[in-house]
Amino acid sequence: MNQWIILFNKEMKEAIRNFKWIWIPLVFILLGIIQPVTSYFLPDILKNFGGFPEGSMLEFPLPTGPQVLAETIGQFGQIGVLVIVLAFMGIVAGERNSGTNIMVLVKPVSYVAYIVSKWLHMSLLAISSFSIGFLLASYYTFQLIESVPISYVIKGAVVYSIWLLFVTTLVLFFSVLFKSNAGVAALTLGITIIISLMSSITPDLLRWSPGMIASHSHSIFQSGEAGEYFWLSISCTIVLIILMIILSIINFKNKETVTHTT
Amino acid sequence: MSLIITEQLTKTFNGTSAVDGLNLSIKEGICTALLGPNGAGKTTTLNMLTGLMNPTSGTITFDQRYRGDRRQFIGYLPQYPKFYGWMTGEEYVVYAGQLGGLSKIDATKKTEELLSLVGLDDSKKKRIAGYSGGMKQRLGIAQALVHSPKLIILDEPVSALDPIGRRDVLELMRKLKEKTSILFSTHVLHDAEEICDDIFIVKDGKVVIEGDLVELQRKYQKPTIYLETEESIEYWSHSIKNMDWLRHMQGTKNKLTITVNDIDVAREALLSNETLRKLKITNFEIAKTTLEDLFMEVTAG
Ligand SMILES: Nc1ncnc2c1ncn2[C@@H]1O[C@H](COP(=O)(O)OP(=O)(O)OP(=O)(O)O)[C@@H](O)[C@H]1O
Ligand SMILES: [Mg+2]
Repeated sequence: MNQWIILFNKEMKEAIRNFKWIWIPLVFILLGIIQPVTSYFLPDILKNFGGFPEGSMLEFPLPTGPQVLAETIGQFGQIGVLVIVLAFMGIVAGERNSGTNIMVLVKPVSYVAYIVSKWLHMSLLAISSFSIGFLLASYYTFQLIESVPISYVIKGAVVYSIWLLFVTTLVLFFSVLFKSNAGVAALTLGITIIISLMSSITPDLLRWSPGMIASHSHSIFQSGEAGEYFWLSISCTIVLIILMIILSIINFKNKETVTHTT
Repeated sequence: MSLIITEQLTKTFNGTSAVDGLNLSIKEGICTALLGPNGAGKTTTLNMLTGLMNPTSGTITFDQRYRGDRRQFIGYLPQYPKFYGWMTGEEYVVYAGQLGGLSKIDATKKTEELLSLVGLDDSKKKRIAGYSGGMKQRLGIAQALVHSPKLIILDEPVSALDPIGRRDVLELMRKLKEKTSILFSTHVLHDAEEICDDIFIVKDGKVVIEGDLVELQRKYQKPTIYLETEESIEYWSHSIKNMDWLRHMQGTKNKLTITVNDIDVAREALLSNETLRKLKITNFEIAKTTLEDLFMEVTAG
């Protein structure tokens, strides 16, 4: 147990020193503020600069609170995920490429602790950033647009967090599997985009998929209820997360720590 | 009692053997050197002993008493140690100590002690990113020792150091030898001769000579006579070619190096040789060949 804490602390310290604990939350904070604020001002902006004839009776309705929250989640899902992937693509591959893992793994370090402590830290950073960004998004939505029942907001956010965990696990998994940082990033992003896209195009075929989570959290914001087959997709996602962590550990254990001597 | 025994240890990289059927036996409580030229397979061997690399074939056996995770008992300094540059030297050694099983307090205490031992007292609060190669080497030694391992494995610990650093580290190793077993690799025989008890000379992944250093020195030392004359000695040298005390001879116009079987007979024969005396001897010196000559001989060919 002690070793887990030591390894986790090292990840934490590293991410603080290279400012990951500043700029990743910052991105989520900005996204969280921008979305409700622009939704609020958009009708005015369109009215004044939209080039519509003076006095025309067009009305631009404000979006609803749940809509704004869903749009914010959409922003997190694109820019937020991109930032997380770029920040952590080298989480294992980077240490292996630079050789800094050698003097660590030659100590009696548990491979499970080495991998899982990285996952825990990464997930903590992602979830914290998301939470603070979403907290601000809810605050401005409540202030500027309309309030949404708090329980809906919290439930929806918790559900969406599982999707973010899926993304961090995917980064870790590929970072164990492959050497190239760019490859890790491309694969993770590619897969998340495909899963999300396919899930919205053919939801019937992908009821189980992690890509359905975002739409479940949308409907929770709306009505407090998730869509159909909610538990199926949640349990599949959790199983996939656990499976990928286990496979990462196995693969990492079986890999030679040193493959060349220079 | 051997700490580690390897049998037919082999490592192949895409069909070429870097280590080829190596049989080593590393004894406890002494210092063992793995000596060999560049590319001999030293680093590859050490990587397999630490478990960082998997052997292609062959076995590595540790002493019964050190069962379980062998990493507990080993401290390792890689040839090119890579650190987290964002840590300070002190933080790194404490981290390594904690990973080695020490409590935070013990690790900090041990770090203090080791950093002053390796001479990094002044820079321990600096980020490692700003360390020189020699400083990293010293830091690497400190992190290898921090959890008090039974065996320390050092891959070319002095190659990256200046002459003073080299002397410091060799001196340090001499001290460590009292308490810990040491296995280290080097391509300089002199370093091995200074502190080692056992030596394995490797070449192309194979052991060419092995044994107790003192015994090897005795075995391979041969009496040698250096001769210098004012007149050319070349023509005369042919006259002793077939003497039975002569082993080997090589020279230039005025100089001759003669390796002999029996130093007394040879000295007698040479000093009583009238023709030789007429060539006006300016130098007559008796010495012994060293392991160096042997090392050069086995590694050059
Ligand atoms: N990943 C690899 N692929 C192919 N060949 C390799 C690889 N790693 C090492 N080698 C080869 O294995 C041989 C032994 O290398 P090794 O680094 O063990 O030698 P060494 O004795 O440590 O040399 P040096 O004194 O230069 O450090 C070399 O010929 C090297 O080219
Ligand atoms: Mg080497």
